[in-house]
Amino acid sequence: MKLLEVENLSKAFGGVLAINRLSFSLDQGEVLGLIGPNGSGKSTLFDTITGVLKPDTGRIRFDNKDITGMASYKICQSGIARTFQLVKPFSRLTPLENVMVGRAHGSQPARNIKQSRIESKQLLAFTGLGDKHSGMAGMLSLVDRKRLEIARALATRPKLLLLDEMMAGLNPAELDNAIALVKAIRDSGISLIVVEHVMKVIMGISDRVVVLEVGRKIADGAPEEIVNNPEVIRAYLGKKPYATN
Amino acid sequence: MLPDWKRLLVIGLLVLAFMAAPMVIEIGTGSLNLLIMVFIFVILSQSWNIIGGYTGQINLGLAAFFGCGVLVTHFVWKAEMPIYLAVIAGGLSAVVLAGIIGLPTLRLKGAYFAIGTFALAEVCRIVVGNIFERMIEMPGSYAASYSLIPRYYLGLTVAFAAIAVTYFITRSKLGLGMVAVRDSEQAAQVTGVNSFKYKVYALLISAFLAGLGGGVYAFMRLSFHYVTAVFSPIWTFEPLMAAVIGGSGTLIGPVIGSIFLVVLSEIFALTLGEAHLIIFGLLFILVVMYFPYGLVGSVSRIRQIISRVGRGLCETGENCRKGF
Amino acid sequence: MEFVLQTIANGLLAGALYGLVALGLGLLMGVMKFLNIAHGTFIILGGYLSFWLFNLWGIDPFLSIPLVMIAMFLIGLVFYRLALSPLLKLPDVGMRIDTSMLITFGLIWVLDNAMTMLWTPNVRTILTSYTGETFRFFGARFSFTGLCGVGIAVLVGLALYSVLSRTYFGKHLRAATQDAEAASLCGVNVQRVYLISTGIAIALAGVAGAVIVSSYSISASGGIGWLLIAFVVMVLAGEGNINAIIPAGLVYGLLEAGSVLIFGVPYRQAIALLVFVLVLMFKPQGLFAKRE
Ligand SMILES: Nc1ncnc2c1ncn2[C@@H]1O[C@H](COP(=O)(O)OP(=O)(O)O)[C@@H](O)[C@H]1O
Ligand SMILES: [Mg+2]
Repeated sequence: MKLLEVENLSKAFGGVLAINRLSFSLDQGEVLGLIGPNGSGKSTLFDTITGVLKPDTGRIRFDNKDITGMASYKICQSGIARTFQLVKPFSRLTPLENVMVGRAHGSQPARNIKQSRIESKQLLAFTGLGDKHSGMAGMLSLVDRKRLEIARALATRPKLLLLDEMMAGLNPAELDNAIALVKAIRDSGISLIVVEHVMKVIMGISDRVVVLEVGRKIADGAPEEIVNNPEVIRAYLGKKPYATN
Repeated sequence: MLPDWKRLLVIGLLVLAFMAAPMVIEIGTGSLNLLIMVFIFVILSQSWNIIGGYTGQINLGLAAFFGCGVLVTHFVWKAEMPIYLAVIAGGLSAVVLAGIIGLPTLRLKGAYFAIGTFALAEVCRIVVGNIFERMIEMPGSYAASYSLIPRYYLGLTVAFAAIAVTYFITRSKLGLGMVAVRDSEQAAQVTGVNSFKYKVYALLISAFLAGLGGGVYAFMRLSFHYVTAVFSPIWTFEPLMAAVIGGSGTLIGPVIGSIFLVVLSEIFALTLGEAHLIIFGLLFILVVMYFPYGLVGSVSRIRQIISRVGRGLCETGENCRKGF
Repeated sequence: MEFVLQTIANGLLAGALYGLVALGLGLLMGVMKFLNIAHGTFIILGGYLSFWLFNLWGIDPFLSIPLVMIAMFLIGLVFYRLALSPLLKLPDVGMRIDTSMLITFGLIWVLDNAMTMLWTPNVRTILTSYTGETFRFFGARFSFTGLCGVGIAVLVGLALYSVLSRTYFGKHLRAATQDAEAASLCGVNVQRVYLISTGIAIALAGVAGAVIVSSYSISASGGIGWLLIAFVVMVLAGEGNINAIIPAGLVYGLLEAGSVLIFGVPYRQAIALLVFVLVLMFKPQGLFAKRE
């Protein structure tokens, strides 16, 4: 069953076409890897799906509902959550309160504040922030702020989670943790679109990969097909998109 | 931070102390007046705190809500309604005004909201100045039976109500949404917070409190020589200063700031004259630049530093596991 | 008919002044993203300088403008160093705008009260031999001082335009605004460019004050009224659109004059402010915004 269908989507900034007639879809339970050089429109795609930006043309259907141009908070409440590439924590709140915002306002909000506090603590533990309830979220390390983005997004109880370069800048040990986290999220039944530059990650967790170049889709298929796709290799300037290992 | 029940106990004891004070000891007229002004400032700065401190929308139109509360309370009271009804009417009228001012201006972002509310409050001041005769006053019979004690109790009640309202908001879903909007409106939106709705709620609650504050002032002052004076931007600026100096976005910050501002003004005004306002201005600038959480925040910051030093000591020491 | 002509004339005279009043605010906000709500207070300070130069040494208010500008420029440098430059460290432009707004808000308090102490709360104006002289064109009366104000507004507007668009300094300023980091990599000294621009912005406030004190009047707490006018004109012009500020001032002046014709004097400012809020809501990019 199709969970998300994007059809003929375009978005321009002034003269720059950030997304150019893009169509793709995502099945229930699928993990979709989304790759492309910097500036190819990946973050802009997330922005249009989550209502942060209004698309110029095209349709977005989610869970058999048209969500094109809907307000962000409604899209969230209908089951799409995201992280920001440039993290945006609620910096004056504690990490726990950050997550509670999602638990209180997301798609299946907790019954009351007490309940949302309990459930939010579990989410902090799940994302590896178990000991970081207090202090200000703005003071966390970058790695922890990225974890917090995920915890807050999960707190809204999404059916679909969009992750935007959550693993950039992690060391190998942190990377393994992050991959395990994404797999655990997938196993809990949440579909994912994962933007990542680390190919090891994309290859390891994606069921399918979509490749963007200057806002257009240039490839869409299983991970093994993608790495050998000549169009993709050309887009990455003749380099193989990843070195095995 | 004290646990909740202890904090409630402290607040409860404070209320009782304030309630009993005028009955137990003789408070002079000057001190009573001062206390009532402190209450009015607590109400106004807490009102500003809800929209400015917790929701992050810098409202420069507070004076319009306050002035509206003053006027409506004055006239309802004059129509021989009981004062408490008149004050509530004042609060509600400010809510209506906030609906008219807020629904359009809350669509503006950042500093433009500040400019827009400031401009509309000035419009209110000009319109009111053109409509009303310069002087409004209660009939002489009210002046004959004037006593400060009921003013004191009304101010006390509304001030604690304002603190209580803020307390319960910060513990609610609404409060969580408000602070989320303040820290990042975009992140709040994609986390399911309807930011516009929450900004409207915050503004309406804030306006209600400001209107009640106006009501208390109308009860305190029977006559107003210049009606426009209660719409003067001063009524925005001073509560804003109290909230920011005390610590905006905290529960007790505005209370501390109000006491600080009103009491020190009184003391300084006698000794320093105009110069004390310059000192407040400088203090305000310093707080904005170096203590974004105000006096309250700087206390907890100092405490944090002490406890960090303490913990550092404990790591080397043996038997001080729970020292700090 | 004569009445209508006179209204238009008044609108134009006031409007040119309104444009002048907004230039400094527009430069700081539109180009450097500092919101200086003490702008009106700086205008008053400039007015006082001009007033005292006239009263103590009898220097003609229009001839003393360069002196006022130099003094205000220096004040602007101090203002930048103490209050604005620390804000460049803030993580984003929105925070810079908000924090500068709060800081300059405190500054209003300081300056207003300092001026009241120094110069009493009395209303001040400069009376020269030519104050009150008028000319007639096309059946409308123009005051001499008002016309001088228009001349100065146009002159200053043009000078600012050429500095911003024709000089290296202007280029550096625009580069620093677009991307401070990239500009400093290219050898632009961002701090210095901002420092000097702030000096210019405050000097512009000074000019406006000098013109105001010679054709209208000033009082220590009158800054807020001029601040609002400056805001309105800046928003009508569109944030960052410095070249449109003088024309926007004229539009605002005519609008105000028109509302006097229709609703009467008492509502002059109220109507103009309402129009302002409407523009803010429905055309936030200003009336003069270039199409993309
Ligand atoms: N807010 C914006 N304003 C103007 N251009 C933008 C904006 N956001 C993104 N762009 C442009 O859109 C293109 C796509 O950017 P982005 O979606 O961030 O790419 P990616 O996430 O794939 O690196 C880039 O050319 C970028 O410069
Ligand atoms: Mg990106």
